[in-house]
Amino acid sequence: MKFKTLFGAALLASTMLVAGAANAKTLVYCSEGSPENFSPSMNTTGTSLDAARPVYNKLVQFTPGTTQVEPGLAESYAVSDDGKTITFKLRSGVKFHSGVNGFTPTRDLNADDVIWSFERMWKAEHPYAKVSGGSYDYFNDMSMPDLLASIEKGADDLTVVMKLNKPNAPILANLAMDFATIHSAEYAKFLMDKGAPEEFDQIPVGTGSFSFVAYQKDAVIRYKAFDGWAGKPKIDDLVYAITPDATARYAKLQANECQVMGYPNPADLAAMKQNADIRVLELAGLNIGYLAMNAQKPPFDKVEVRQAIAMAIDRDAILSEVYQGAGQKAKNPIPPTMWSYDESTVDYEYNPEKAKEMLKAAGVENLSTDIWWMPVQRPYNPNAKRMAEMMQADLAKVGINATLVSYEWGEYRKRLQAGEHQMGLLGWTGDNGDPDNFLAVLLGCNSEGKPNGQNIPKWCDADFNAAVTKAVEITDQAERTKLYQQAQKIHHAQVPWLNIAHSTVFEPIRKEVQGYKVSPLGAHEFQNVDIAE
Amino acid sequence: MFRFLLKRLLLTLPTFFALMFVTFIMIRLVPGDPIEVRRGERGISPERLEELRREMGLDQPVWKQFGDYVWGILHGDFGTSIISKTPILHEFATLFPATLELTISAMIFAVVLGIPAGVIAASRRGGVYDQSLMGLALTGYSMPIFWWGLILILVMSNTLGLTPVSGRVDLIKFYYEPVTGFMLIDSLLSGQKGAFWDAVHHLILPTIVLGTVPLAVIARMTRSSMLEVLEEDYVRTARAKGLSTYRIIGVHALRNALIPVVTVIGLQTGGLLAGAVLTETIFSWPGVGKWLVESIGRRDYPALQGGILLISAMVIFVNLIVDLLYGLINPRIRHAK
Repeated sequence: MKFKTLFGAALLASTMLVAGAANAKTLVYCSEGSPENFSPSMNTTGTSLDAARPVYNKLVQFTPGTTQVEPGLAESYAVSDDGKTITFKLRSGVKFHSGVNGFTPTRDLNADDVIWSFERMWKAEHPYAKVSGGSYDYFNDMSMPDLLASIEKGADDLTVVMKLNKPNAPILANLAMDFATIHSAEYAKFLMDKGAPEEFDQIPVGTGSFSFVAYQKDAVIRYKAFDGWAGKPKIDDLVYAITPDATARYAKLQANECQVMGYPNPADLAAMKQNADIRVLELAGLNIGYLAMNAQKPPFDKVEVRQAIAMAIDRDAILSEVYQGAGQKAKNPIPPTMWSYDESTVDYEYNPEKAKEMLKAAGVENLSTDIWWMPVQRPYNPNAKRMAEMMQADLAKVGINATLVSYEWGEYRKRLQAGEHQMGLLGWTGDNGDPDNFLAVLLGCNSEGKPNGQNIPKWCDADFNAAVTKAVEITDQAERTKLYQQAQKIHHAQVPWLNIAHSTVFEPIRKEVQGYKVSPLGAHEFQNVDIAE
Repeated sequence: MFRFLLKRLLLTLPTFFALMFVTFIMIRLVPGDPIEVRRGERGISPERLEELRREMGLDQPVWKQFGDYVWGILHGDFGTSIISKTPILHEFATLFPATLELTISAMIFAVVLGIPAGVIAASRRGGVYDQSLMGLALTGYSMPIFWWGLILILVMSNTLGLTPVSGRVDLIKFYYEPVTGFMLIDSLLSGQKGAFWDAVHHLILPTIVLGTVPLAVIARMTRSSMLEVLEEDYVRTARAKGLSTYRIIGVHALRNALIPVVTVIGLQTGGLLAGAVLTETIFSWPGVGKWLVESIGRRDYPALQGGILLISAMVIFVNLIVDLLYGLINPRIRHAK
């Protein structure tokens, strides 16, 4: 009898399990590659950041589909009048995932976790500073070590006070970036005691909408829905099917083996748009592709020459042939989806005759120069070689003989940054939606008037620099907008680089998928996604 | 037999050392280094670059790096991936079963179809069967793998819905942790109903794609080897004795004709172990070929060095087995002497 009861119970349990499994909503995302690890503080590639994002949260976050910053783990924050102190009030009762890698949290999120997470990237003596290689690129790239004076616990366990060395308006946007993810200090201690600290970066535990289940390199990452502070997601299971080939991703999407895919092959877009089972979402990318003219090398030190080049190149032809409809012509160095974009800019027209006259007036004849092109496909430039060839042909029409130059990608960038080029193609994809991340980072100069490392045109303009420097120190967005628009006007007049295009981001999804939003920052997020029955 | 094995194993040592050396040097001759290649547009400050190079030991003279590397290998340490920070041996062990499973499956496909096709073609020399089979073999041999894979996906998966597009398991229906890494075995161990057939289904297209070239090579080799053997005196004698064609071809001729075919099978298997990159990419197959190619792109020196060395060990092992098989097929070849 006892056996029968037990057997009956087991049968019932297994039936419920199967029924549960049958009803479970699973969303499969065809991702493009394997993550390097699951700690966003150490990663810079979109693939790795996408893989960790479902598990984690930050103090503040970007509203899905936008670059607006909204509260995350901090339910509110206040910036002091001098702009140098930010006080974060954490949400209470925020749970960490339980049962992952044998870890059961004994407490909710508090200030210790926030301090632990930042100090890992910041302080060399932190017990986890050197674990898994200890390279915190984004933290350093966003100048956090220079900015941060201290991060301390405030009046209670749920208050964090961040002090800065100088006022910095974009810092909240920086803190919404993935590198600023908040980890569990208790999990870190658990693993350290277990003698396996490196598991911290391989088996993630966070507060995010999905808890980590399993990862098989080059095959699959599995997560399950977590009923946390942000509420339970509408799907039960989230699966990343690692599918490196874009055509295979599309074939899987057609066969309903995945419901969302990233990075489609541009050649497949037309067919995708015809397919009744698929919707192709699109958004102007937060990026810029440009042709930098080295202002430290004659004759590009003359503004008339740079303007003439801007008029000699037929960008409409480049848009149609190189971008094939997946881009829009750029007239400003920042993309139109970014606040402070200057609508009033009147773009340079394609006018080779006028370009010739201007070159002649500037005393430039029979110029021999170079155009550098990067050897890799980038989101803002699908085919730099073809683009350079088209530019070479256009310049030949105005009497400029340009040689094409390229190097291995790492070498290419290094030589461009060293200013070895005369003209060179490059571009940028925004990190945090703040204009500072384009204008100051890519065109700014230091206090001695020397161009920053990323300043490829090697161009320093005192007025431009003053505007972008001042804009960082004030928090009023309207004031900042005025300064950035002023900077864009100077850029337009001076043409240190020729704006070429902002590429469009396409994301094909199955028609059953609801609530998916394309992120201008290139993130793939699933917390609000549902699948129609 | 033991002496033969020992001799062969000792002979592989210089091969290993040469491989270690060549891989080590070649990857360092490729422009770009593992730190810079990851930095994209951002670049890196010279100070930070120096610091990271020091941490990774890349600032040491190349001979010292090589010495450390060899020392590590001798102690069973293949190093740690620069990208994932995981031990190379662990990464290899995770990915290799997928490659091995696919290779075995593709070779079974190639052998089971290739040898009979070659025998039939040889026994009907110049006839319709011969012409069409060899025509097909030539087509298979010259088929671009990437195109062939995509066409099969388009027809078999997207149009007819007979096979899954890619991967090793239906990710929505089934979930089981890898135990052996061989999906056919793990699916059985999972005890989940239908899991095994699902794994078989996922194996069909990659097997056909990866097995096509070896199939063509084996068929052609079997045919030419059979034609040669069929001219031999002992075959004529067998015919004169009045033995049936089946017995002449199936027993007397085939066994002798198989020696070069087995060599080809060994070589092809070795090639597939490391060279299934395209098939692995199209079918999202988590194997070592793709891993190695990605490691070149990322300049992941330890992954590349360790991976190539381990693959070579496998290829040498396969060749050793082939050598042993000669003896089984043809007792006249005696290894012991």
